[in-house]
Amino acid sequence: MHIGSVDESAVLGRSWLHTASPNAKLISLALMLGAVVTTWNALVVASLALLLMAVVTSTDLKPRLAYGLAAYPAIFAVVFALSSAPNALTGTVIVLKAVVAALAAVIVVLTTPYPQVFAPIQCITPSVVGDALLMTYRSTFLLLEKFSNLMRAVKLRSGLTAGHPIRTARATTRALGGLLLYSFDLAQRDYDVMRLRGYEGHLRVGRVRGLSPLRDALLVIGSLVALTVSVLMRLAATELNPYSWIVPLIPLTILITAIALKWRNR
Amino acid sequence: MSHIHIPDGVLPLWLWGSGWLLALLLVTVASRLSERADIRRKVPLLGVVSALVLVAMSTEIVPLAYHMNLTVIAGALLGPVLSVIAAFIVQVILAMLGHGGVTVVGLNTLIVALEMTVGCILFRSLIRILGRPRVRPVAAISTVLTLALSTTALVGVVWIGGSGATQRETGALDPQTLRFENPLSEGAISNRLFSGGEDHGHEEEADDHEASLNVKRFATVVYTLGPLGWLLEALITAGILGYVARVRPTLVFEGALAETRHTIPGDETGGR
Repeated sequence: MHIGSVDESAVLGRSWLHTASPNAKLISLALMLGAVVTTWNALVVASLALLLMAVVTSTDLKPRLAYGLAAYPAIFAVVFALSSAPNALTGTVIVLKAVVAALAAVIVVLTTPYPQVFAPIQCITPSVVGDALLMTYRSTFLLLEKFSNLMRAVKLRSGLTAGHPIRTARATTRALGGLLLYSFDLAQRDYDVMRLRGYEGHLRVGRVRGLSPLRDALLVIGSLVALTVSVLMRLAATELNPYSWIVPLIPLTILITAIALKWRNR
Repeated sequence: MSHIHIPDGVLPLWLWGSGWLLALLLVTVASRLSERADIRRKVPLLGVVSALVLVAMSTEIVPLAYHMNLTVIAGALLGPVLSVIAAFIVQVILAMLGHGGVTVVGLNTLIVALEMTVGCILFRSLIRILGRPRVRPVAAISTVLTLALSTTALVGVVWIGGSGATQRETGALDPQTLRFENPLSEGAISNRLFSGGEDHGHEEEADDHEASLNVKRFATVVYTLGPLGWLLEALITAGILGYVARVRPTLVFEGALAETRHTIPGDETGGR
């Protein structure tokens, strides 16, 4: 899990999207997801993918990290498509939709610190859920590091090699058992700390404003345009489908421009 | 296989929307029911157990499109009520990291909560019947039954969402009708969009592009690959719970919230 790299990118980045308002980014994410969900046209989905690739290029996000995370659901989407799609084109659209939706979510997470991402969820859920979300994110870092150290220790002490799968499986299971005990002790320590510090519920997350309201507005408007095109192509599919080839041209132009600008500024 | 992550945009709006509403309702009810437990104990416990499940779900076995879950273990530790909250937390974080769809967070929450809750109930019931020395076989049986149930729930969701009852015009692309010409050259917009067009033959072809899912084929694949995943998960769960039951039995047999005495590491049995 690349959670450390995700956090680093969200907190240390300084691109135009990093300095945009978290609310604007989350609204844009919802609109882009709406666009992905609405369409079944492969070229429209491909256009959304090109638009998001242009955003990744313009924000200097690590391409391997962003596209790697976004491509992960493709593994499961391929299995789902192969097992249930009525034809090859529909199967392709299913996989593309999964990847494009994931890319939109990943872009937000890579450019927004996690407390700001979870803040809207705190507004619509009980306080225990919102607080537990923040604790979970923190605990994941600790457990990942602990698990990595445990596995290294197990491999060194047990002399595990590829030729002993049963011994390896037994050692890995015990490492996971050790991780479970550690996690419970971690919870106990957190409880003691929270009791000492007077926690009574509701960890408050401070709201962050974007640097430029105009930029935030343009971000939301751009996403709204994407949704509008997606809805139009669905509602007037019979008339507009023959001209679907036009839809990817604009995001392709934007992507080429972003690449050219990045190349010039290197 | 516990659950396949259903991509965004495949299931109809009413289904995943209902999933979200039901999940939020269940989470709210679970939060109210858990008010008896100290919030300072609940929140860190939820945090670490959810993180444990996240760490497990991040390791996948690619040929089977399967990843570990540890949901039965999480259910046994947290109990049925807190399990619902943990399931929601796990799905939200996975969705934000691109592992699973955002729109189907509600439905995935319901399936994972079902796994945790049923896993907990089955584990504790079978332990009472078969006894604590048989913790490993009990854990394995509970895991297999739980995952079989959640897999059936998943197939049920796809059946509801993709059956013939929900066939609709999808506006899918028809490559045969693509025209690489200027749509404005013959006043296409005024002629076609507003007058209904002259080409009615293509409308019939477009109506045939209905993306109804082949549920029977999906169920066949899931029930063929699934038992492999169930077996793997059962072995891992049995191994972990068997180990932890030897080292800290109250954690396994009474749940994490039952441990109120602060134990010193290395002295889990209290000197006895």
